[in-house]
This record gives sequence, C-alpha cells and structure tokens, in this order.
Amino acid sequence: MLLLKVPKNDILAPLQSVSGVVEKRHTLPILSNVLIEKRGETLTFLATDIELQITTHANGSEGGEDVAVTVGARKLQDILRALPDGTEVSLILDDKRMQVRGGKSRFSLQTLPAADYPRMAPAKTDASFTLSQGHFKALLGLVQYSMAQQDIRYYLNGLLLVVMGRELRAVATDGHRLAFGSTELQQDMPHSEVILPRKTVIELSRLLADSDEPLEVVLAGNQAVFRFGNIELVTKLIDGKFPDYERVIPKGHDKTITLGRVAFLQALQRAAILTSEKHRGVRVVLSAGSLKIISNNAEQEEAQDELEVPYQGDALDIGFNVGYLVDVLNNVSSDDIECHLHDSNSSALITVPGNATFRYVVMPMRI
Amino acid sequence: MPSIHSLPDVLISQIAAGEVVERPASVLKELLENSLDAGATDIQVQLAEGGVRLIRVADDGGGMDREDLPLSLLRHATSKIASLEDLERVVSLGFRGEALASIASVARVSIASRRPEAAHAWKIEARDGTLAPAALAAGTVVEVGDLYYNTPARRKFLKSEATEFGHCDEVFRRIALARPGVRFQLQHNGKLIHRLAAADPERRIGDVMGEDFSAQARRVEASAGSLAIFGFAALPAHARASRDSQYCYVNGRFVRDKLLSHALREAYRDVLHGSHHPAYVLFVELDPAGVDVNVHPAKTEVRFRDARSIHQFVFHAVQRALASPLGAGQGTAAYPVPDHGADVGGAGFIRSDGPKPAPVSPWHRQEQVRLDVEQRVPAYVDFVRAAADSRPDIFEAPELAAGAPAPRATEAGGSGAPFLGYALGQLHGVYVLAQNDAGLVLVDMHAAHERILYEKLKNAADGGEPASQKMLIPALLAVSATEMALALEHGADLQRLGFEVAAAGPLELMVRAVPVLAAGARVPDLIRALLDDFRNFGASDVLSAHRNELLATVACHGAVRAHRVLSLPEMNALLREMEVTERADQCNHGRPTWTQLTMSDLDKLFLRGK
Ligand SMILES: Nc1ncnc2c1ncn2[C@@H]1O[C@H](COP(=O)(O)OP(=O)(O)OP(=O)(O)O)[C@@H](O)[C@H]1O
Ligand SMILES: [Mg+2]
Repeated sequence: MLLLKVPKNDILAPLQSVSGVVEKRHTLPILSNVLIEKRGETLTFLATDIELQITTHANGSEGGEDVAVTVGARKLQDILRALPDGTEVSLILDDKRMQVRGGKSRFSLQTLPAADYPRMAPAKTDASFTLSQGHFKALLGLVQYSMAQQDIRYYLNGLLLVVMGRELRAVATDGHRLAFGSTELQQDMPHSEVILPRKTVIELSRLLADSDEPLEVVLAGNQAVFRFGNIELVTKLIDGKFPDYERVIPKGHDKTITLGRVAFLQALQRAAILTSEKHRGVRVVLSAGSLKIISNNAEQEEAQDELEVPYQGDALDIGFNVGYLVDVLNNVSSDDIECHLHDSNSSALITVPGNATFRYVVMPMRI
Repeated sequence: MPSIHSLPDVLISQIAAGEVVERPASVLKELLENSLDAGATDIQVQLAEGGVRLIRVADDGGGMDREDLPLSLLRHATSKIASLEDLERVVSLGFRGEALASIASVARVSIASRRPEAAHAWKIEARDGTLAPAALAAGTVVEVGDLYYNTPARRKFLKSEATEFGHCDEVFRRIALARPGVRFQLQHNGKLIHRLAAADPERRIGDVMGEDFSAQARRVEASAGSLAIFGFAALPAHARASRDSQYCYVNGRFVRDKLLSHALREAYRDVLHGSHHPAYVLFVELDPAGVDVNVHPAKTEVRFRDARSIHQFVFHAVQRALASPLGAGQGTAAYPVPDHGADVGGAGFIRSDGPKPAPVSPWHRQEQVRLDVEQRVPAYVDFVRAAADSRPDIFEAPELAAGAPAPRATEAGGSGAPFLGYALGQLHGVYVLAQNDAGLVLVDMHAAHERILYEKLKNAADGGEPASQKMLIPALLAVSATEMALALEHGADLQRLGFEVAAAGPLELMVRAVPVLAAGARVPDLIRALLDDFRNFGASDVLSAHRNELLATVACHGAVRAHRVLSLPEMNALLREMEVTERADQCNHGRPTWTQLTMSDLDKLFLRGK
C-alpha cells in the first residue's frame, strides 16, 4: 500500500525535525524507530525518548485506508539523504515491511507495530500563550549555555520558564553562574513556573526559526507543549524546586564599568591561552581608567591585557573562570556590556546597557 | 551480712577469661605462645570443629615437673617473671600467669608434660586436679575441649565452624611467620592444613604468604642502634583491600599498633588510598625495655617509650624499600619507565605476568609528549571542567570511533606516536583503547583521571591554597550531628583544601565554594567522604598529617566517572596528561591505570606468526 509519493526533501525535512530525539542506543529497540502514521492525506512523523516527543506532518499522501507503522529512524534518514536531490520517493507498506523507492533504488525495511510505540498522553491544559518563534529562540539563546549538565541537583539540568503578567522569563544556572532573560507577552498571564529539561531546550533551539511565525506554548500538568510551523513538541517537565534566582542577582554593586563587548571578549580569549589548565582562572584588575586581565599558568608563563575604561572608583583585584566570562560575551549581541562589581568575594553582575531584560551573575574564583 | 564480698576464684578466672579467651583462636594463641616460651622446636596442632570441640597443642619444649602441673593452672602463677624489673624487660611471650587458669575456667583442660630428666610424663585434669602418670616422649601436650561448655551465653557468640577455624588459622600463621626456626603443623578435623619445615625467615614468609607475595614484595632491612627492622613490603598494585595481609611484630610478638600502622600508611601514602591496605610482614626489634607489652591481657597492643623515633625509623625504612627499583630475583625485570620523580611501584610490577612493551627510553617519551601539547590544552581543559561548564559542542555530540578516524593514528606508525598512542575509542564507558607503537593500550579512564587530578591537587596544594570557585547556588547537604561537629571543627582544614562550608541549619551544611579541580565532583558525596576521613584520622591537625589522603579523596570524587561518554579529542587529551603526570601508572587506590597488549600478544591470540 502506497503511503506517500513526494520529492525526497518533503519526507527528509520532517524526518530530520523529529529524529533529534531518537536515542542512538536505546535499551528499548522500538525507541530507535520513528512512527509514521497516515490519516487521510496527511502523513504524521512522531519520535520520542519517553521524556520528549516530537511530531510533524507531511502532506501529499494518497487516499486509501489509514495505517500506522514504525521503522528505524536512522536508517530511513540515511537512505533518504543518500538519494540524489529531487528524486521522487515513495514509501510503500506491504505486510511487515516498508519499501522505500526512489529512481532505480529499492530498499525494504523491517517494521515494528505502531501499537507498541509509546506515546505521551496529553494532560489537561493549565495555561497557554503565544509569542514569536524568533523571540523565544533568542530568549533561550541568552541563557541556555548556563544550564548545568549531569548535576545531582537535577533541577539545575534544565531551564526555568516563568510566566507572570505580561512577562516571560528564562533562567539557567549551573550553581556557579546564572543567566536571566525575559521577553514580553501579548496577553496577561497568571503566575506559573516550569523547568524544561536540558535536552528539550537544545531541541527547541535547534528547531525554532528566527522568524516572526507564531509559537504556541501550553503548560499542562507535568508537561509542556510547543507548537510551531507544523511541529508539535511535547516534553515532560523537571519536577523540582529551582533556586530563588531573584535573591542571587545582586543589587547595588558600587563599581560599574562599561566595556566594548568584542574588545573584552578578545582580550579574555588571549589571556585564556596562558591560564593554568588546572582552573582556567584569570585575574581582572580594576583601577582608575584601566582594566587589566592577567593570567598565568603552571609554567609561570604570563599574559596581560589592558582595556581603557572610564572608571574612577576604588581599585579591585578579582578572579574568574575565564570560560564563564567568555560564555556570556559570546551569547549576547550588544556592542557594549556593563560589568558591576563589589569586592573580590562577591559575585559580578553583567548587563547590557539600555536593556533591563538580561542579567548574568558569576561567582568569583580564588586563584 | 555485708553486701560486698570476695568473688570465688573460678568466677574471677571466668571474668578474666572474658578478656583472654575471646574465641577458640585466642586459646590457640595462648597455647602456642606457651610452647614457644618453653623452647619448643616442633609444634603440632590439632583442631576439631573450628577449635570449639578440641584444641590440642603438642610441643617438644622443656616441659613441666609433676609439682609444676597444678601450679600452671593457678591464677597468677608463672615461671616467667618474678619481679617488676623482670616485667619491665619481658622477653617471653607470656608473663601474666593467667592464660591457662582462664582457659580452664571455661573449657575442659588436661595437660600432659614431661621434663627431659623425668622418668615419665604426668598428666593433670584441670577439672579436679587429679594427677596420673602418662606416656609421652618429651615436652607438653595441652588439650582444650568443649570450649564454653559451662558458659552457654558465651557459646552463643561463637561464629560458624568455618569462621572460627579461619581465626585459628590466622593465629597459626601469625605465630609461624615469627618463628621460622620452629617446625609447625596444623590439622583440622583430621585433615592436614599446613606443614612448615624449619626454614630461614625468607622461606617461611614465602611458605606462609604464598608465592605471589614473595615474588612481588620488596625487602625491608634497616637498623639504627638497638633498633632494627626486617621483612617484606608488597607493592601497592599487590595491595589487598582487607587488613589480613598485614603482619607486624615487635620483638617477635604480633601486634596491632596504631603508631606502626600509621608509619606504614605514611610510607605507602602516595601510591595507596586510605581505604586500601598494603600487604607486609615486618619484624621490629628493639630493647625490651623500650616497649611496654602489658597494655592489655591479649598482649596485641604495645606502648613504645620513644614513639617518635620508632615511627620515623619504620616510616623511612619502608618508604625507601618501596621506592627502590625491583632488583633481579625480585619479581620480574623492571620495565624502563621514564623517571618522573619517585617511580614507586614500577610499571613492570603491574604487568608482572603480562606482556611487556618494547622498551622506550625516557628521553624518547618526553620528546613525544611535547609534540602534542597544543592538542592537549584546549580539549583536556574542557574535559576536566566539563561537569561545571556546559559545553554542548563537546557533550551533545559524542560521536564515537565509528567512522571517525583516529587522528594521525595511521601515519603514526614507526616511532612518531606518543608513548601511550592515540585513542581508538571507549569500551563500555570504562576503558579507553589506544594504539601505540607496541600495539594496544588499555586505560582505566576513572583511575587514570583520578591519578592526574591527585597529582595536580598536590602540586596546587604545594603552591599554597588551591584555586577555589565560589558557588552562586550553594550546595546543601543533610548531615548527622557528628558530621556537623566534624565540619565545624575542621572548617579551617576544609578551607585550606579549597572548600567553604557553613552550617545552614542544625543538621544541614551549606557548601559555598569548592576547589576548581574538583568541580566535577558530586559535592555532597565528596564532603561526606572528607568528613569521614576527618573522623578516621581523628587528630586536630588532620590537614598537615593527612593532606595527601584528603587530596586523594577529593581526586577520587572529582575524577570522571565510568560511563561518561568521552570524545576522541578528550581521550587523547587524557593520554597526553597521563604521559606527563608523575606516577601515572597507578591510581591512588594502587590499582594500575593502564596496560599494554603488544602486537605479538595479540598475534598469539589469533595463532599468527610464531
Ligand atoms: N607448653 C608448656 N611447656 C612448658 N611449660 C608450660 C607450658 N604451658 C604452660 N607452661 C607453664 O605454665 C605456666 C602458666 O602458663 P600460663 O599461660 O597460664 O601463664 P604464662 O604463660 O606464664 O603467662 P600468660 O598468662 O601471660 O600467658 C607458665 O608460666 C609455664 O611455666
Ligand atoms: Mg602463657
């Protein structure tokens, strides 16, 4: 039975959108498969790792009865990629096998029954809102690099989303630094907070477009649903108490310096070459009119860089993991940044001038 | 009637027996010591049912007269000392004159004995003191039957027959090790367990400890004035997890002494983690006046008059022995490893019966390492701090060996490859496989990383306080009251290790800063392990005395865990780090960190060539 006959890219594109969730080596064999479901003229592709499920559609299916089947996602994707561009591809289901035909090539893939494929049951909607894909993608980009990875404080291995009034906030921290961003919403929302798992955040950034096309976000019990383009992403949420980010963001740091972002970034990257690989520590030495970046390594090699700054306050000598500074400078796009300091034991706050919606806090390091 | 009264003699002995006669093995120990004190050169032991049913010790020693026999069973009757001066310089194993009395109060005891000049032997039944002539060539036979027959409460504490026999066997070995000139034989339930001919000390140690031990162990021998030490200490890779391979003697008496075991732990400290135990047989000899053995009735504790110098003496003797290269006749020929400081536990030891790679000169290896520095720095740094940093570029795409060519591995043939070669891939998340000139290298990822971290921590600590990253979100951990007390007491120690810890509640600790090198650790687990170390080390100057143990704990927790997927550049970075790390051949637990399978080893597997 013919499921679909379309140019190769019309199948490959939706398949690539969903296949990111498929685990390479899963203990449950069916989870390395993708579910293909034909209903009327639409063909649905669905992949899941049980925590995260992505669905997308392709049109152009033939009539005939509705069917569903699962096949190896990787293999199907590799086959389609290997066919010449523009090839007309047909997917044909006969008995327990799925045939892929394109040009003079024929492939016959084994299948597993669709009924065995795990699907996330939809939960009752608590709240939903819509914003542009581009805005949300930018918001994730501002903070996601600060997420923890494999931390036992499992709630740090993800990103906190907060809706309150007309504001949507995103917060990520690995316990040493924290990034905070926010964007405006069109509608007024009751307060709610959810933690998206790390993998979900990374998939979302990959799939979202830099466009004004809408993204619908639905919070539903222990799930969140994201709908955009012809993709639907359902994710479980991390159940845990995220740290109180507002308490961590310092207020009233007395030493403020404005720096050119790129100049600062490049100076740090130069100094990083001679940081001790033991700890990647750099010293930031602030004095009237000057900000020095100093590093040295175990071999006693030393790097020093200096930026002129319009600063007249007290001198300060403070250490940081250079990676934490480079990360933030790489992920914001403004020309300038502002650095707020207090003393060598207190956190540093990095903001973007004229933009109250972004904050980055990083703890110092004793070198 | 007054309520205070003297206890009957038997009851006093039974109370004393509580300390001396803990189990069948303690009876055996007392009997063997008596035989040795009597000058025996041949001792035969028969046990039945783990020693509970019967312990029979027959010796060819000096024996006892008819008149001595009843006295030997009396409390505080001894032939071995007569005055306080005697007590202060005891040379015999026994001196309290209470062992037989105690034993006789809780078991059925009979003693048959004959002095060389006596016409025949006499036998006494302890139960009623009846004496009767007996047939015996010379020496003494003591039989102890039905231990605890009259104190059922104690009988209940006895373990299985196998366990009790195990303890007896251990006592037998201890004593046999110390007296190589004496023939020993042990039978259990009619089966011969050991037959040890009189031998020189080295032979005896081999007979008792096994081939393995004597092939691998290093000889320890030193003396200073009246102080001397002799014996063998096994290298860390042979070290055992349990304590039962540690034999330490003072003037021929087996002891468990805190001072000595501390000195030994220190001697092993750089190559052995605190929770593993080295194997050794060591005899310390000193003027009997310099040591007090009358500390506890069981006599396994001693007190040294000049503790400090004994500690130093033992420590240096053993440390020097461990640091010396394996000599001919001791284990296998040393495999030349570049000398990165003290090459404790040379690599040859690790692969004792395994394949040996082609020798590589130190110069050669050093040179190769340099070539790869540029590759090492960026990749390895990320690997080490990965848990603290999120670096999606590395950890989201762990494409493994499949398809990805090992960088330069193929061109590397000939002499171009570094000592440990280039990574090929990861095996079950535990081992890194690499290819070098000689063939295949297998690396225990966690052990290797742990060793590297440990050396780095040590270097960092030598240069003052280690770099410490403050936490924005402090880690919280629930602790017990003891742990809380330890944490507060050792706040300064923790700080000097790079931690900042404070009480967050009565039973909750808050960790505000961690050493950067341990950023990958699960902080609560690490803090708990450190507090545990503090408890074990006890003293208040924990850090100065036990810095390296503590650093080892930090390294163990900070090291990359098994099942972490590593990319090829990370694996190569690990190999390069190993090459430049001192003593990288062993992790801090004394296990080897890597091994080599040469091409010819592999060929043999496939029956190729020949
Ligand atoms: N196997 C033996 N051969 C000769 N004499 C023995 C033997 N066993 C015991 N004796 C004699 O019996 C005495 C009492 O022995 P017992 O073990 O009770 O005391 P001890 O050895 O003097 O001191 P301790 O209580 O410290 O062992 C000894 O002093 C010794 O004279
Ligand atoms: Mg005795």
